[in-house]
Amino acid sequence: MSRASNRFDTKKVNSELVTLTYGALVAQMVKDAENTDDVSKQLERLGYNMGVRLIEDFLAKTGTGRCMDLKDTADKIQSAFKMYLGVQPNVANWSPGGDEFSFILDTNPLTDLVELPDDLKNLKYCNIICGVIRGALEMVQLDVQSWIVQDQLKGDQNTEIRVKFIRRLEDAMPAGED
Amino acid sequence: MCDQSVFEIFHSELVNYVIQNNETQLKNTSKTHGEDLSNLEYIGFSTGFRIIERLTRELPRFRDELDTMKFICTDFWSAIYMKQIDNLRTNHQGIYVLQDNCFRYLSKLSNTKQYLDLSPRYVTFTCGLLRGSLANLGIRSIVTAEVQTMPSCKFHIQVQRN
Amino acid sequence: MAVCVAIIGKDNSPKFLSSLNPDEELCFQYKILSSLDIVEEKIHGVNRATDNRELFLGLLYALETHKIYGYVTNTKMKFIIVVDSSNIALRDNEIRSMFRKIHSEYADIICNPFYIPGEPITFKSFANNIKNIMTGTV
Repeated sequence: MSRASNRFDTKKVNSELVTLTYGALVAQMVKDAENTDDVSKQLERLGYNMGVRLIEDFLAKTGTGRCMDLKDTADKIQSAFKMYLGVQPNVANWSPGGDEFSFILDTNPLTDLVELPDDLKNLKYCNIICGVIRGALEMVQLDVQSWIVQDQLKGDQNTEIRVKFIRRLEDAMPAGED
Repeated sequence: MCDQSVFEIFHSELVNYVIQNNETQLKNTSKTHGEDLSNLEYIGFSTGFRIIERLTRELPRFRDELDTMKFICTDFWSAIYMKQIDNLRTNHQGIYVLQDNCFRYLSKLSNTKQYLDLSPRYVTFTCGLLRGSLANLGIRSIVTAEVQTMPSCKFHIQVQRN
Repeated sequence: MAVCVAIIGKDNSPKFLSSLNPDEELCFQYKILSSLDIVEEKIHGVNRATDNRELFLGLLYALETHKIYGYVTNTKMKFIIVVDSSNIALRDNEIRSMFRKIHSEYADIICNPFYIPGEPITFKSFANNIKNIMTGTV
């Protein structure tokens, strides 16, 4: 009785499991927190913790080496989106200095069939993704900021997540520091 | 579609969130006398309730309670945990024991008695998932988990009849 | 084309009701709630067709002016469709298809974390989608 049966498409079920559990978690956080901003921050932090672990999984599964530059990094994150969320965002809106860019998502399993109620219009529902990006990149010595620019849940055409490179982190602590 | 590892890592962070939230709200933090994992169980309940609605959309009606339990042990468990329940026992009077010899969230913790006291954290979501799924199928129950040797886990379902 | 659609919960309390003509709504409510007895009969009754495990229950009863059809999900949600008797062009298959679409809509609203199952459904988008199914524009 141990072999898996094939009645359901396990990939689809897994996707729905993530969507539903994420939704239940957000609903719980809304109950626990004092205000919507707190929830948005907590989602980002939770995403950060996930990103720190997901990067290990990603590097192990893809055997990828160091990124040459930010464009390379953006491409790698793009394939991570495909691998982990099953969506392929567009990388666009590069800043003139080449230190900022956006991921444009026209579909997002996390927000599938979600409708924000009126009293939660300020909630950054997808903030977990910003956190994942920040956490994952910190593990490869990149300090970045990530935030939501456009949000489908707020009526925009697409969801746009912007990433800004701040600085490269030191690989090792300088001698003399504890 | 999502990769498996996403949900596993997300599940861990879910557990961490509930534990940390308990600490900030100064709830019971004793590890030995049962942490307050009721929020985690409720998240599982909510998810199970909803996912079963979607999973059973195309299926014919279940014949009876045992038929429903068999579905949970086979198709449902396979869809979510990539394997079937290894052993189902029942006293035919509303008590069911579902045994999973290699429960997914415990197999990453350990294969021995190490971390046994942390095991409740990793089975509570699933208890809720089971309770929610059964509830939406019209079966009210209490679901608990028994872990003696990781990664094996027994889920005890006690059906509540009026 | 349906004139009225109702979604009734496990406890037989209505979760959603929509009619094309708001004046007839109260009258339909009464008819629909009465038809629930027949639904129970079909699922649990002594006269039920043995081993009929289909979700679509067929015609529940026919009035002079309207026909009432039923459908019960595995999760004990009951969907009721009321059609005008004069609409003879409407075939069984079309009714089944409408029920499947309604079921699909319901399964979708369940995914909204801000909808608590068991509460009445008040989302405008849901109401619009059901109206489209009723008028056959889907």
